Amino acid sequence: MMSQPVLLDRDKMKRAHRRREIFASYLFIAPYLVLLLMFGVFPVCYALGLSFTDAIEGGFYGLNNYASAIQDFRVPRAARNVGGYVVIWVLLTIVGVTVVTLMLDAINKRAANVLRTVFFLPGAVTSSAVVVLWLFLLDPTVSPFQGLYHLFGWENRINVLSGVGFAGVFAVMAFFAHSGGWIVVLSGAVAGLPGEVIEAARIDGANRWQLATRIKVPMLWRTIVLMGILAVASGLQIFVEPQLMSLVGPSAAQPDWSINQLAYQYAFAVGDFGVSAALSTVVLAISITIALLLIFCTKFYHTN
Amino acid sequence: MSMNTAKLSRLKPGQFVIYACLAFFVCFYGIPLLWLGIASTRSQQSLLTESPFALGSLSTFLQTWTNISSYNDFKLMSWVWNSVIYSVGGVGLSLVAAIPAGYVLGVYNFPGRKLILVLTLIAMITPSSAMVLPIFLEMNLIGLNNSYLGLILATGFFPFGVYLAYIYYATSMPRAILESAQIDGCSRIGLFFHIALPLAKPIVALIAFFSFLANWSNYFLALVLLSDDRLYSLPVGLTSLISSSGALNSGMAGNTIPIKLPEAIMASIFITLPVMLIFLISQRFVRSGTLAGAEKG
Repeated sequence: MMSQPVLLDRDKMKRAHRRREIFASYLFIAPYLVLLLMFGVFPVCYALGLSFTDAIEGGFYGLNNYASAIQDFRVPRAARNVGGYVVIWVLLTIVGVTVVTLMLDAINKRAANVLRTVFFLPGAVTSSAVVVLWLFLLDPTVSPFQGLYHLFGWENRINVLSGVGFAGVFAVMAFFAHSGGWIVVLSGAVAGLPGEVIEAARIDGANRWQLATRIKVPMLWRTIVLMGILAVASGLQIFVEPQLMSLVGPSAAQPDWSINQLAYQYAFAVGDFGVSAALSTVVLAISITIALLLIFCTKFYHTN
Repeated sequence: MSMNTAKLSRLKPGQFVIYACLAFFVCFYGIPLLWLGIASTRSQQSLLTESPFALGSLSTFLQTWTNISSYNDFKLMSWVWNSVIYSVGGVGLSLVAAIPAGYVLGVYNFPGRKLILVLTLIAMITPSSAMVLPIFLEMNLIGLNNSYLGLILATGFFPFGVYLAYIYYATSMPRAILESAQIDGCSRIGLFFHIALPLAKPIVALIAFFSFLANWSNYFLALVLLSDDRLYSLPVGLTSLISSSGALNSGMAGNTIPIKLPEAIMASIFITLPVMLIFLISQRFVRSGTLAGAEKG
């Protein structure tokens, strides 16, 4: 009889304590939560809503914004451009980064460390500066690679651009800046491989080539796939590289090369936020789908 | 003996291929950087007519510097300061938001935790450029575009930093300490300031590193949000400098603005140098695999 109220009291205290704990948790996470809602959740919902709105006259517009985006002849062309670029850029990243990493693993450790730093440093040349740098590198009159261009008979920048193709040029620019970071990441994964397996294979007579292709690559496969998927996601967003082609004059300018550029143009040159929002929504939907697949269909990211 | 020589001769072609291949990549990554450094000492004339690695002179370098600093009241320097403001603001805000959030997500369980984690992962994997136009449309709605505050707030949202802090606290915060502190009646706030925050030093450096890189090199968002050239960040300023002077456009060679090839090169170095210094300083920890663990998740 006596113990009942005490128990209730303890229960109540426990619940009150739990409530205080939840409150404290939210107190801590509040600044981040505000930013997450403001720059994650809200813009996505707002762009989605705007894509169904007539941004010029106002009011519900149904799928008209999407229809006018598809009817714009530049949109399918931009989609093909971006598709071609993504294929080149992803293949370049997967093959280039894997080959370089495995080769660095096969040479003297100290030399490998120096080389990794050399490969990593171009990552410092970022955003607009990397495009400006490459506009110089692509110009046969000033480029340190001019000997190579002369071999192909390219006399000016336009020759080089049309010779290599825009998608290829943009892929090389992106590879120059971003591959070094991935080489460091993949080298970390190589260093984490179990030494006894590799030693056993070596004792069994595997040569370097077999060691790399039959033992190391299969064990690194997960990291390589992750790198490929993230490269696809970022490649679809290409904007800066084609946008800055206009710096060298109208003959090389590519103002409507990628989907993101068209979304930008619709907002800034045309002033039609509805079509811009529709294009952004499509691009975002692809990115978010990739993210969801990565989170729920693979074991790359844990949420527990 | 004979086996040894056989082994050597078998390995040699393989080794040769490796060294040749690595030499190719050293050229690919190294030559542009080397050229960029040397080119800032050369004159327009030298860049266009002499061999690509001809050395310039100190006086040419100083002349280029004078041209840049006298052009438009040294506007480039105000862009440098803007970039510093945006970066420091963005890094600061992302740290203030990410450390406590990562701590709570990593150590406690509360309703809504899983949802916040999933949203954070989605936001982290979605490339930031996919969000640029939606954020612009939102900023346009609430009137925060074209301001320091708008860009800083937008870049302060750094889900990758939250993820790093979350992984760090979930894996390296000693459970025993947490439990004993709770038994001793230490509150969650006390626990954070007495134990979690002092433990956070390595993760603060890592988050600041990545956040700074993202902010300093931010081009697309800054281009879209900032229309007043007094507010430009350095990467946006660089392109506006080049396009308004036509420095890279041989069709506009006749103009009198003193911004030409050497000036464009020096301005690019302005963007590159701070990041390169940070890379070289943080080389050890970047190489030590911290980065590997971080990006792999």
